[in-house]
Amino acid sequence: MSVTPAAQPPPQQEPTTLAARFALYQRAGGVITPLLTTLLALFIAGLVVRFTTGASPLDTGRAILDGSGLTWFIPESVMDIRSVAGTYDDWPSEAEARLNAEINLQQTLIFTTTLILTGLAVAFAFRCGLFNIGGQGQFFVGAIVAVAVGAEVSGVGRVLHVPLVLLCAALAGAVWAGIAGILRATVGAHEVITTIMLNWIAYWIGSYLFSLGGPLQSDRSRQVPISNDVQESAKLHVFWGDFQGLHVGFFIAIAALVAFYLILNRTTLGYGVRAVGYNPEAARYGGISVSRNYFLAMAISGLFAGLAGAVDIMGWQYRYGQIDIQQSDIGFAGIAVALLGRNTSIGIFFSALLFGALLTGSNTRNLALPIEPELAGNMTLIVQGLVVLFVAADLVILYLWRFRKRLGLPRREPKAVGS
Amino acid sequence: MNGRRLMPWALAGLAALASLVVAFGATAAPMKNERISLVTDVGRLNDRSFNQLAYQGLLRAERVLGIRKQVYESRTPADYTPNLTAGARTQSALTIAVGFLLGEDLNRVAKQFPKENFAIIDFPYEALADKPQNVRGLLFKSEQAGCLVGHIAVKQLIREKKRPILSAVGGIKLPSVDAFIAGYRFCARRVSRRAKVLIGYSQSFTDSAKCKEVALGHISRGAGAVFQVAGGCGLGALSAAKQKRKWGIGVDADQGYLGAHMLTSAVKRVDESVYATIQAIQKGTFRGGMNTTFSLANNGVGYGKLSRKVSRALRLEVEALKKAIIRGRVKPPATL
Repeated sequence: MSVTPAAQPPPQQEPTTLAARFALYQRAGGVITPLLTTLLALFIAGLVVRFTTGASPLDTGRAILDGSGLTWFIPESVMDIRSVAGTYDDWPSEAEARLNAEINLQQTLIFTTTLILTGLAVAFAFRCGLFNIGGQGQFFVGAIVAVAVGAEVSGVGRVLHVPLVLLCAALAGAVWAGIAGILRATVGAHEVITTIMLNWIAYWIGSYLFSLGGPLQSDRSRQVPISNDVQESAKLHVFWGDFQGLHVGFFIAIAALVAFYLILNRTTLGYGVRAVGYNPEAARYGGISVSRNYFLAMAISGLFAGLAGAVDIMGWQYRYGQIDIQQSDIGFAGIAVALLGRNTSIGIFFSALLFGALLTGSNTRNLALPIEPELAGNMTLIVQGLVVLFVAADLVILYLWRFRKRLGLPRREPKAVGS
Repeated sequence: MNGRRLMPWALAGLAALASLVVAFGATAAPMKNERISLVTDVGRLNDRSFNQLAYQGLLRAERVLGIRKQVYESRTPADYTPNLTAGARTQSALTIAVGFLLGEDLNRVAKQFPKENFAIIDFPYEALADKPQNVRGLLFKSEQAGCLVGHIAVKQLIREKKRPILSAVGGIKLPSVDAFIAGYRFCARRVSRRAKVLIGYSQSFTDSAKCKEVALGHISRGAGAVFQVAGGCGLGALSAAKQKRKWGIGVDADQGYLGAHMLTSAVKRVDESVYATIQAIQKGTFRGGMNTTFSLANNGVGYGKLSRKVSRALRLEVEALKKAIIRGRVKPPATL
């Protein structure tokens, strides 16, 4: 490897609070540790594949890569699509294979879009020293409001309707997370507890609204606990693909990444948020209102998650239902995305892409392994679980690394690592 | 000497055999190796209910009819359209959507692939927005199965000199759930006017703790038999029955294997519907734009293994009731 390890943080005072210490580990190690973490997780997942199913880990990895559609970018590798050849033995046409890769890539990017936004929802709070577990609930609220405004409001025209829905959903998410922020800021109720509680409240409100006879339940199919479809004017433009193609929400997510960076690094608000995140006591001493920043950080986090819900509804799903609420876990996936992405916008982009690719690539639709389908589906979970596990574990590794230094053991020079 | 004389004959025979194989293979291969795609809902394959039964039907078709199976598990609702599309694009002879959750997506995909065949379980084709003519709905007269188990439960409780109070634990209030419960209540009351049926919904098909809670509530109000209509969640209701020494009644699959507390099960043969539809594809009799209804008459629904404690008289009585329903003399309602 020719990449040189990122510079170690300059020697400084040992941080005192848990959040501050955590933030330090998050900054340490640069881009190398997350990369190594991911590779290690995929390697172990390969071993699991090897020992449980007997399939070759390399083939599996290749199949996941093919299935994610990322090979679409590389013409040569599209030419021999092994996984496709495995599944569809009498399906030889190269154009078909390419179309397949295209469809898969669209699905990967659709997941990436949502994961970026739910990842940002966790990361922004993290930068303020808060742990927002409520991304899921804020996502629900955003999706519910998007359905309500998108389906029940009509006759406003696309130019107005789309921004209206996005705005309402984002605000709803912000309010939902803001509740937890206010509680933390005023009475000190821990946000981990309150956001989890708010998740359940959103869950049950949604379940009620879409249940048979509920206020938002569909007029057309009275027998199914789902909402009406959103109006045509509230749908996001699909610019690529005919079968659930990629919608412009992807660019909304990219814009959110840029906004995240700008707010944190180029505004007074972001400065305050980061200052509180590093050390609330010092920030308070410096004249920064800690409670105000707690509230704002949570509200902005919720804004991102609410936007995620809206983009999902307006981009491809168009409706929401009781079962969708019960099965959704994309808000929780945002925690893993933020952890792996080190709470930075560029990191979140790539980790969202990784999780999106894993989600699509390891689908039974794409995994053409000699495994029975019951197993293949669970293998997906194993791969993802390992990635999350190692993402969490790399903090332990970093801790041990620092511990070693403290004991005065010799440190290896960067040169030796590179050779 | 002999070998030389036989050689031409042997060769000729071999050639004849080979040509026969080729000819047979050429005609039989497209008939036999149809690709059949199955798209699950988010309950996924191991849900011990619906999706799993459909998969068993597919496996049986693979074994007996020699089709090639292709299974698409949907992990999120985002998978529905791509999975259905994949089924259609790979020229499957039939793509089966498991459950009403896929309705909207199937409607869209069926329109995009008007030449491909589709089937959807538990959803009438005319309920799809555009009524596509290449989709067949596979429906079940679940109320008939519910009726039989309701009858058995009340009779058994009366014979044990217990109050005939029955519990029904539904997942989410859906027509396919209510059909079971409606038949159950109808036939329970038909046996005895004293019979009372407590109905509760857990609001989940997966979380067994919620079903257990509902069932325990019913048992504390005197229920002597618990009928679960909630898929994986309902296993919790049955474990509540076991714990409180009440009768349990399974649903969809024959759940008699769960233990001695199981009275019987209201069986809905999703596997049978999948198998029969694949058979229709092979025979060339499959047609879209209509529904097939599976009932007692074509063995599409029924009751599972009866507990050993069920008397011979009651066994005969249930068979008689079954015949009466088939003949239309007893008509359990499908809605509450």
